[in-house]
Amino acid sequence: MKLVISLNNKSRLYDYHDMGIRYYIIGTSYSLYTPHILSIDDIKEMILSYPDCYFYVNLNALYDQNEINDIELYIDSLSYIGVSGLLFQDFGILQIVKEKGYDFDMMYAPETLNTNAQSINTLSNLGITSAFLSHVIPLEEQVNIKHHTTIPLMMFGHGVEYMAASKRKLITNYKEASQKAFDDDHLMIQDRSSKKKMYIFENNRNTLIFTEERLYTLDLLNQIHDMDYLYIETLFMDDNEAIEVASIYSDALSSTNYNRDVSDLRALLYQMYKPLGRGFLFDNTVYKLEDVRKIDNEKRESNH
Amino acid sequence: MRNVSQIIDGKRKIIKKPELLAPAGNLEKLKIAIIYGADAVFIGGKEFSLRSQASNFTLEDIREAVLFANQYNAKIHVTCNIILHQDNLEGIKEYLQALDDIGVSAIIVADPYIMILTKQMNLKLEVHVSTQLSTLNSKAIQFYKNMGMDRVVLGREVTYDNLKVLLNETDMDIEYFIHGAMCIHYSGRCMLSNYLARRDANRGGCCQSCRWYYDLYNNDTLITSENDMPFTMSSKDMALVNHIGELIELGVDSFKIEGRMKSFHYIATVVSTYRKLIDGYCDDPDNFIMDDSYKNELNKAANRALCHGFFYDNPGINEQLYNIRDEHPTQEFVLRVIDYDKESHIATIEQRNYFKVGDKIEIFSPTHSNLFFTVKKIYNGDKEEVDVANHPMEILYIEMDQYVEKNDMGRKVIR
Repeated sequence: MKLVISLNNKSRLYDYHDMGIRYYIIGTSYSLYTPHILSIDDIKEMILSYPDCYFYVNLNALYDQNEINDIELYIDSLSYIGVSGLLFQDFGILQIVKEKGYDFDMMYAPETLNTNAQSINTLSNLGITSAFLSHVIPLEEQVNIKHHTTIPLMMFGHGVEYMAASKRKLITNYKEASQKAFDDDHLMIQDRSSKKKMYIFENNRNTLIFTEERLYTLDLLNQIHDMDYLYIETLFMDDNEAIEVASIYSDALSSTNYNRDVSDLRALLYQMYKPLGRGFLFDNTVYKLEDVRKIDNEKRESNH
Repeated sequence: MRNVSQIIDGKRKIIKKPELLAPAGNLEKLKIAIIYGADAVFIGGKEFSLRSQASNFTLEDIREAVLFANQYNAKIHVTCNIILHQDNLEGIKEYLQALDDIGVSAIIVADPYIMILTKQMNLKLEVHVSTQLSTLNSKAIQFYKNMGMDRVVLGREVTYDNLKVLLNETDMDIEYFIHGAMCIHYSGRCMLSNYLARRDANRGGCCQSCRWYYDLYNNDTLITSENDMPFTMSSKDMALVNHIGELIELGVDSFKIEGRMKSFHYIATVVSTYRKLIDGYCDDPDNFIMDDSYKNELNKAANRALCHGFFYDNPGINEQLYNIRDEHPTQEFVLRVIDYDKESHIATIEQRNYFKVGDKIEIFSPTHSNLFFTVKKIYNGDKEEVDVANHPMEILYIEMDQYVEKNDMGRKVIR
């Protein structure tokens, strides 16, 4: 299982490389979100400086019609400089790449939709060459999907989890409606019922919401060893935390069969950041009317 | 440019009239949608469909729906738009075959496996790409076309300007939302309900957590105090009633009304309004006068304030709901006409909500203009005079001078 990291600072590439990490997700202004925006020249420079590494570009937004011409030109540039792959969720991106005959590793990464093996296998016949599993399904299901698919899969390993993206400027709109002045950095919203907190921010494209809790899988590596890639999301991490987290996972992955006792490493993770959590790894969601009612009743009873 | 009009007898007429596609949560609503003018109705089955809290249709219901629709030359589309998990795969093949055998026209699908499976099974069913896939550009549409899909339901984020370009770039059948509630986030890409309530939005369990109130923090400092407007992400509902002419001229293939969970009255009102609007425009597009009556009519059934969504551009504060929620229709649905006796001027009605002698009622209809009357006399089943109608679904008789027809509906005029 290879460690993949969303690059949060190009000047720290040397450190990640030194840990043995060879796979990087690069953010650009076309990305849905990214801890760091890099230019074509930045990416080109990294590719030339680190020929043993694989650089994937996050083209994972949903693109409006008026952006398509620019995106096509941008994909031309990425092919020219030798980017290894693209993470995408808009099938328009896959269509462009197919029309042009480029040979990127096309990793389908729609955040929420890769939830069964048959669909991934179907898409592998239509041009995707790898896939990023949805993190909103339990661990058992993710492993099961791996056992029934034919293309490489990436699993979400550590970091804040994507919750939603809106094309609307939700913070700007609220500011205007409420006439409240506040600093846009480090904003969080808290649900009044569950008390769960989430990061909320606007970028050049969207408003995005992420969990405050960072998901971790450090002590689950021996259960997920069949996965091809393990992803670390560095969004909202400072340089030191990103480096430390990458180092801890790199260390844990270096042991044979990932059987090393990681309690010391896990303690380090907890020292760095709280809250850590399991996301949906051990928790099923419900959708059938009878199950929804059951949950509502349980909630009501627990309130009394 | 899609060719939508032609000069006939010296007058330009629209020859490419868009399909009016309405929602229905049960058979009664489906029949009303068709009677009030829908060309097609989309419904959910008991399995594989979002909106788990709508009543949804058994296969027997769907069979009855198709038979009813056939009488009106209307079509039935069935949503199979959940995002499948491993444990949802069982029975899908048999279900698709059953829908095809029944004579359903199309399925609305979000999962690529179901899309390809349907085509591999050589079914007559058209496959429509669900809005859950948030398709916004012509390259993505081309991808689905190459897959053999028959129609794409666009994401609600597509503006008029982008729609115009997009329609010039593709000959694919395109469905566009014209009316109804809006997800605040990209459809299919929102996990708030999953996270906050453990209810899977992509399998029909969405609890609409975007409409909740939230506390807003900057780091650990609470920004929104008790007296402040709470932070929320709720959207007004979309109504493109003022833009129907422009959309017809672009050559959009299908106009979609959202709302499988909506009431009988809502569906009748909204479908009827758009039916009259589309027909009026198509008949004489160059002399059609758009007045406020259409919007006023929609407001009578609106659950929330209405806006134009993404039609012009990215929505601002006027398209969102903060603490100005308006979830009360201005008029209340009180009766449905079962029959009318021209001799005695007595209408047989099915009571739906409380009304009484002296109330002013507005009658609306799929076939004639709205009319108003004041309730003078009400009779019960034993033909005894009563002052109030307060038993839902009770058959009553009321005196009405004006002619009404079966399936006309009455609203109590409140304001």
